[in-house]
Amino acid sequence: MHSLLQKFGRLLVIWLPLGWLGIFFMLPLVEMVNVSLSEARRAVPPYNPAFQIGKDGISFQPVVDNYLLIYEYWEDYLWPAVNSVRLAFFSTLYCLLFAYPMAWWIARSNKSLQHILLVLILMPFWTSSLLRMYALIGLLNPNGVINDFLIWAGITVTPIQMMQTDFSIYSGMILTYLPLMILPLYASLVRLDNSVLEAAADLGAKNWDIFRTIILPLSMPGVIAGCLLVFIPAVGEFVIPALLGGPEQLMLGKVIWTEFFRNRDWPVAAAIAIILIAIIILPIVYARYQDKESIS
Amino acid sequence: MTPFIRIQNISKKFGKLLAVDDVSFNLERGELFSLLGPSGCGKTTLLRMLAGFEKPSEGYIEIDGQNMANVDPADRPVNIMFQSYALFPHMSVSNNIAYGLKRASLPSDEIKARVEELLRLVHLSGMGARKPSTLSGGQRQRVALARALARRPKLLLLDEPLAALDKKLRSETQFELVNIQEQLGTTFIVVTHDQEEAMTLSTRIGVMDNGKLVQTATPNEIYEKPETRFVADFVGDISFLEATVIERTGKYWLMEAATPIYAIGSSTLTSGMKVSLAIRPEKITLTSQSTGHLNEFPVEIEDWAFYGAGTQYKVIGPDGIKLKVYQSHNQPSHANPRHLETGFVHFSPDATIILEG
Amino acid sequence: MERSNLFLITGVIAAGLVVFFNFDTSNTQKSQVAEIEGELNIYNWSDYIAEDTIANFEAETGVRVTYDLYDSNEVLEAKMLAGSSGYDLVVPTADFLARGREAGAYQDMDLSKIPNASNQDPEIQDQANKMVGSASAGLVYMWGSTGIAYNEAMIAERLGDDAPTDSWSLILNPENAAKLEDCGIAILDAPTDVLPNVMTYLGYPGTSTDKAHFEAAGDALSAIRPYLRYINSSQSINDIANGDICAAIMWSGDAFQAAYRAEDAENGHVIDYYIPDEGTNLWFDVMAIPADAKNIDNAYKFVDYMMRADVAAENVNYVWYASGNKAAKPDIDPDILSHPGIYPTEKAKEKLFVTPVYDAKTDRIVTRVWNRFSAGN
Repeated sequence: MHSLLQKFGRLLVIWLPLGWLGIFFMLPLVEMVNVSLSEARRAVPPYNPAFQIGKDGISFQPVVDNYLLIYEYWEDYLWPAVNSVRLAFFSTLYCLLFAYPMAWWIARSNKSLQHILLVLILMPFWTSSLLRMYALIGLLNPNGVINDFLIWAGITVTPIQMMQTDFSIYSGMILTYLPLMILPLYASLVRLDNSVLEAAADLGAKNWDIFRTIILPLSMPGVIAGCLLVFIPAVGEFVIPALLGGPEQLMLGKVIWTEFFRNRDWPVAAAIAIILIAIIILPIVYARYQDKESIS
Repeated sequence: MTPFIRIQNISKKFGKLLAVDDVSFNLERGELFSLLGPSGCGKTTLLRMLAGFEKPSEGYIEIDGQNMANVDPADRPVNIMFQSYALFPHMSVSNNIAYGLKRASLPSDEIKARVEELLRLVHLSGMGARKPSTLSGGQRQRVALARALARRPKLLLLDEPLAALDKKLRSETQFELVNIQEQLGTTFIVVTHDQEEAMTLSTRIGVMDNGKLVQTATPNEIYEKPETRFVADFVGDISFLEATVIERTGKYWLMEAATPIYAIGSSTLTSGMKVSLAIRPEKITLTSQSTGHLNEFPVEIEDWAFYGAGTQYKVIGPDGIKLKVYQSHNQPSHANPRHLETGFVHFSPDATIILEG
Repeated sequence: MERSNLFLITGVIAAGLVVFFNFDTSNTQKSQVAEIEGELNIYNWSDYIAEDTIANFEAETGVRVTYDLYDSNEVLEAKMLAGSSGYDLVVPTADFLARGREAGAYQDMDLSKIPNASNQDPEIQDQANKMVGSASAGLVYMWGSTGIAYNEAMIAERLGDDAPTDSWSLILNPENAAKLEDCGIAILDAPTDVLPNVMTYLGYPGTSTDKAHFEAAGDALSAIRPYLRYINSSQSINDIANGDICAAIMWSGDAFQAAYRAEDAENGHVIDYYIPDEGTNLWFDVMAIPADAKNIDNAYKFVDYMMRADVAAENVNYVWYASGNKAAKPDIDPDILSHPGIYPTEKAKEKLFVTPVYDAKTDRIVTRVWNRFSAGN
């Protein structure tokens, strides 16, 4: 009886996460591929599913027209893609530059302070990201808190235009994504053995040298994880640039949105999303594969 | 002539805790000095002050005539081998060893030559390209040693260098360490809690207790002539007898410790003084019959343990005094007393150690 | 009412889940759940009803109302197209309703079950019916226009007394736009409400579906693009009220909300709204019943209640949009009735038009022109 329970427990532990991944990650993805291979129509739902299980049995009639359409108008999709990648790249870079010293500081604090700081880092996740964006707008507006203060302090006479600039966009991106960068960095820095750093100092390395030759290489797994965690959602981001940016920010996320809502073309929207996933995921998979090769 | 390394009245406080308490000692060039003591005695803190990771609260350290007070760890002619080895896991063995040489901006062919030389010294030739994670514990220890020696430090600090190795490897490595030290002539300070390790390695030992350096002497002196009960107890096995001085009889002092005992001692003793008598187990002989030796009395054998080369006994004498006795198996022993339940012990008055107070 | 697309992320996710769990709704007939007496699920625009209307209806009829809100037609449409929304009454804009009906997402409304339907202004209802292509699609709740909201003092300061505050040229003429750049210009992120008006400004019919006309409108917008602060549908209400921008292409109701906020904040900014003389498009929000609604009788009951003259007037006085209800007029605040930005003058009415419902091909042209303009290439 006892071992039966144990067996059941073990099965549960293995299959629950797998089931979770299957239901909430794999199946929607498969469904998205299905939609991307379907034909758009004016009906409920607004596409004719390529794969369907109906009373006539199972049928699978994929169409590639959606992908061909993207190919035909590739220029319309390329520039937003470039915008998105640029936004994601610089957001990742800025997050890394801000997060690294913070993660270092947290990792080197004493244990009880570490817990408090980590909770503080996670705190923004408890409020709606939209609310945080509006709070940021309230700070950065020409009539906002910061400009009011600068004018009051006599530092500037006319308000400084901070909204609808790269500054406001990246402020919003950093505000939103910084925790995703700090946490993996912290996890890798906190494992760093202090004696390894002392050994480097003992062998003649000064601070910058220790950082360059020891700390940075040893925290690379955290850097890579953090960069992926920020970069991947940032590529699809369009709400923050729309809220905080000027008119020049057409993001790929917005293009998908337009396909979905304005053109009511769910299949094309799904196809773009699939291509986007492929462009982001394939290099990562390839890199992992290379990594494994070089180890064995 | 000023000593090569001078440690003068060094103290270190962490808040209210006095980790190192007024420690002074000197080292000559080429010595292999051990700091021996139980964990928490302050020996590692002292070592970290020598390396420069901690600043002394008081006192000063001088190496080869240079005051170390404001010298960074990176600039000291001192290197340390950490207990955990602290190898750089992302670098090959060669790069680990070359690390300190690269910081010194040596030409690359010289670095290469020096690394090869060090690899040979620690018997790791041909393993330079391996990552530390692919090495055995003993190999890692030797990489750490080579790395610490690479900059040709005037002083090498070794923090529990053998603690992470298994017993067999430990004794082999001990001798190798001594060999390398003698070969290079570098001054070593080894921190250890293992008295056996300290005995085998060192030219001199400093025993630390509670932040204080309680005795500094050669291994032989530490063993044979411990100055305090702590040192006697910490270094090697020993039995204590509480005794009262009665009188001087010729060369020896007569004492009363449940049974009359003759012991060798200094002339500062006076009649009626309470002292501790300490005797090493191997200095005591156990026999089945009385032999008529000085300092002989009957005992009950409480317990024994076989050690291969010899046997250790726990015996109880008159008035319940407890002694440890070690009998080597190659002694032309008076019958093997292993199966005995009672017997006699005796020891030479010259084997006794009198600890006052 | 804010027609923002900002909350749409949730919409997208929700729609995705809905699609996912309705893997094959077209072939499976859902087992009919027995109609529960006294329930009604309404999905309406946010800030689009007087505060006590729902409570009064519940008290009067005993029907328990669940009242949910959306901020954009797109969210509503995605829900309707995915099916099984659970709502019994929704309020899409006419062109969205037309497309939804084409997809089979809505059912006809039986006007004989709505005695108060006779209160409706036939002129307004006819235009909406023409747009939807049916006389039984539903009843117009509110209607409005797209025009220009502006900060009186800021415009006068930069363009003088003869500022064209009666024409699209205030924003669409690059010379004017250049002068207003520093105080901030915003444009709705709503191509179907902006492009047709740019076409009328250029002298083309606003109802055109000619690709060349759309592209010309896109070029005209690109010409003023360097002077734009942003293209966004929801931010301009606050920003113009605070004086952070000084001119914006906006929906009438949003503009009055901004004017009201500025007045309320006593920040010295006076916001006004006008329908340009070149003309503008009208839009109609229509009360309609989804095809799979379960509480149809209660939906009729509610529409009938909303069509009562006193109820309709209360709603207009609260939301400051023009009502489709003619009988309500005597009870409507004279300030609202007399405002040409809300109830256009007879002369202005001549130039008002209703944009046709675009087919999928035109949708694509409109989107591409719009994306190129907003991406700046």
